[in-house]
Amino acid sequence: MSDFLNLILEPLQQLFHKLEEFAPNFLAMLVILLAGILFAWLLRKLVIKLLDTLQFDSWSDRKGFTTLMRKGDMWGKPSLLAGAFVFWVTVIVALMTGLSALNINAIDQLVSQFFVYLPRAFSAILILGIGYIFAGFVSRAVLISAVNSGYHYAKLLAEAIRILLTTLILAMVMEQLQIAPGIVLAAFTIICGGIVLALSISFGVGGIDAARRVIERQATREDQEPEKEDIQHL
Amino acid sequence: MKTAALRHDVHEQIEQIGQADIVVGIPSYNSAKTIGHVVRAVQAGLAKYFPNYKAVLVNSDGGSSDGTVDVVQNTTIEDFGSILLKHRTEPMYKMAFPYSGIPGKGSAFRAVFAIAEGLNAKACAVVDSDLRSITPEWLELLITPVLENDFDYIAPLYHRHKYDGTITNSIVYPLTRALYGKRVRQPIGGDFGFSGKLAQFYLTKDVWDTDVARFGIDIWMTTTALANGFRVAQSFLGAKIHDAKDPGSDLSDMLYQVVSATFGLMDGYAEQWMAIENSQAVPTFGFEYSVGLEPVKVNTARMIDFFREGIVNLHEIWLSILGAGDLREVERLGALNDSEFHFPIALWTRVVYDYAIAFHQRKLSPEHLIKSLTPLYLGKTASFILEAEHMDAHEAEAEIEKLCQEFESSKSYLVTNWK
Repeated sequence: MSDFLNLILEPLQQLFHKLEEFAPNFLAMLVILLAGILFAWLLRKLVIKLLDTLQFDSWSDRKGFTTLMRKGDMWGKPSLLAGAFVFWVTVIVALMTGLSALNINAIDQLVSQFFVYLPRAFSAILILGIGYIFAGFVSRAVLISAVNSGYHYAKLLAEAIRILLTTLILAMVMEQLQIAPGIVLAAFTIICGGIVLALSISFGVGGIDAARRVIERQATREDQEPEKEDIQHL
Repeated sequence: MKTAALRHDVHEQIEQIGQADIVVGIPSYNSAKTIGHVVRAVQAGLAKYFPNYKAVLVNSDGGSSDGTVDVVQNTTIEDFGSILLKHRTEPMYKMAFPYSGIPGKGSAFRAVFAIAEGLNAKACAVVDSDLRSITPEWLELLITPVLENDFDYIAPLYHRHKYDGTITNSIVYPLTRALYGKRVRQPIGGDFGFSGKLAQFYLTKDVWDTDVARFGIDIWMTTTALANGFRVAQSFLGAKIHDAKDPGSDLSDMLYQVVSATFGLMDGYAEQWMAIENSQAVPTFGFEYSVGLEPVKVNTARMIDFFREGIVNLHEIWLSILGAGDLREVERLGALNDSEFHFPIALWTRVVYDYAIAFHQRKLSPEHLIKSLTPLYLGKTASFILEAEHMDAHEAEAEIEKLCQEFESSKSYLVTNWK
């Protein structure tokens, strides 16, 4: 009878010992997580207050970030979004730090992989942000210059340049995130090469007459003295 | 007092001269073909009207490669008698050197101000190096009001073709007049007279590493004089004919340079201009006479086409600057026939004010913002040319006067929306 009881109690004792060993780690994880959440909440408040002082929302309106957010179905203020972003990043970092306190091999590996990946994620976000501003700036500069030069398809040209730059930036982001880098590079090369080839073929085959007219017009224009306006704007 | 704006050898020349009553500056860059005439006119003007004043002619050059400085050094009037002049009792000196600082007319002017300060000059004048219509009388008209009537700043007043100077006529003059309350007809004329006191005041301003040094010096000088309470007048100089650059080839760059300088100054002097209502005439010197002007070729259809291209392509940018109401008005203009095309002055006034507000609020990069004004400006210019086609110069000027009054009466719109 006593042997039978031992058979039952022994595993329970072992479980109790394991729980006894695990409990402080678990408690530590909970403390780290709770402290992390509290810290994230404070940081969120601080970021929102700072961005309010810097009039970040007005700046975002001017730079088109607000429009971009609306397109992505985000209807809050940009400063609140930035605050939420900071909050969740801090919570995730706290969670990962907390999980590492459990001292479980599988989780430790996951946590270390997460921290190795974190700089890549940040640089991808940075590339995306700067790239978005850069693509918008270049596209607008092309649009205004083309309109002021009297080019009829100014908007089309500007939009094509914006799409091309956005594609390039997205390829850079995915390469940074190491998401199937080989496929991304191949796809990007195929798309770009395809565009150039398609343009060459469509203009070369379909636009022979148009090309001839352009060249003839250019030659005629060079022969004739261009008609200049005399008006002095200043 | 030594200033970093001048090279060591220029300081030595200043020390040798000691003191001067009048300093005349000629900024130049590759102007060898035209500067000789300007130098002769300045020498004759100084000899004829200021024989008893010690004068210095300063050529502040931007590193010309065509021998501009040599032309200045070698140009003299051999026979004063042939132009009915007596010999001077006071000497006239000549200084020609490359200026220091970032390339631009502003840096060239800074060197002239520094020399005026170094020589403790009473009166100064600056004239462009590409002028073909300058006469010795220009010197008298720019300098005498400073020497004898205690004015600090003399702006030029030219007779120009009714189609010329449209950036001045439709933006800079009405805006400057409405903002600072003085009717200075040519705020960016390029040829000015000013007192030694004002030259010293200009030097105290920390603008010599900004766009003022590159291209915004003319409007900066006028605005600084107006907004700081200096005594301002204008002198009628006759026709302004200068070496033709390729007109219209870089219109949006030109517009950007002039308008960004004007709008930029609005930020710095907001306290002053917000309190001003209406405008007053400034004293005018010189004998006004009619000038025969060469006809000007214009292509209004091309200008209206540019305007329509703007409507099609710049819709989103204009919407963010003008708002939906005024943009609708602009779009309505685009649908008119060329013969009916008319840009109302009230709408144009709001467009300029909206652009000034957008510039102040940094809605876009300054260059993009102001260059996006080009099609609207061409639309307004085409409208003015179509209206003024059968007008004489006085009637065309009356149209500009109406625009100025609209700018003044609508100023509350600008003040209210300036946050």
